[in-house]
Amino acid sequence: METDEELVRRTLSGGNHHYGILIQRYADYLFGLGMRLTAGNRELSEDISQQSFLKSYTYLKSFDSRKPYKHWLTGIAVNCYKDLIRKEHQHLSLDANGELSYTPYLEGNMDFFNLIKPLTEDEKILFTLKYVYEYQINAIADLLNQKSGTVKSKLSRALEKLK
Amino acid sequence: MNPLETIIEKEKETSYSQRNKELFSFYILTLINQEQAFRKLNRKLWISLLLITGGLFLLLSPTSEMMNYFIVSLSSSSMVDIFKMAVVSYGFLFVLIALLKQRSTI
Repeated sequence: METDEELVRRTLSGGNHHYGILIQRYADYLFGLGMRLTAGNRELSEDISQQSFLKSYTYLKSFDSRKPYKHWLTGIAVNCYKDLIRKEHQHLSLDANGELSYTPYLEGNMDFFNLIKPLTEDEKILFTLKYVYEYQINAIADLLNQKSGTVKSKLSRALEKLK
Repeated sequence: MNPLETIIEKEKETSYSQRNKELFSFYILTLINQEQAFRKLNRKLWISLLLITGGLFLLLSPTSEMMNYFIVSLSSSSMVDIFKMAVVSYGFLFVLIALLKQRSTI
């Protein structure tokens, strides 16, 4: 099986079909991350996944092959999630409680979604990456372009909220 | 194991699946190709516009004066100057062709 880095290299040298393999390899992963961050909103998760792959292709030349492609893609997906959430809040009217005025079709582990509901968007991202995907603090800090100390303090604040 | 850990463990075991991965991959690649084709066309249009503008300028400017200037400068220039001019012209042409053929990423 070809490594991610090999597939990136081949894509850059003119073979878009190699990128198709990367898409199929990480489609479930990105979709799952999207589902967890959007509390089971399938449509938003598919949008996040799609935007992430498009952005990843756009900036493929800037990918540092010394780091794992999966981490890089995760960073892109998190940024796409933030962008989409911002747009959702701009375009959809909000009711008095600040909740979305439409009811999205939700699926998945509701216990987890209800658990992280009180967290801010940033905290949700950090909590999910750390405790569900078991990323190290340094890796999270690296892929989100934040300092390790900041990540640690945000995570402990999130844990305090959940206790 | 406290309730928090139980929920997290349950979530770790939950798997999410993108619907029809092959179709999804095909769709993304189509979007990429579409964007690349659009950019390529856009670049070609700009280069064509540049060339047409240059050509029109040459055609519409006073030809006799230009010819006079060309003949005078050609008669006073040496073979080395003509060679330099040819190199620059071919270089410019090569850059234009390279720009037209360059692969684009979106």
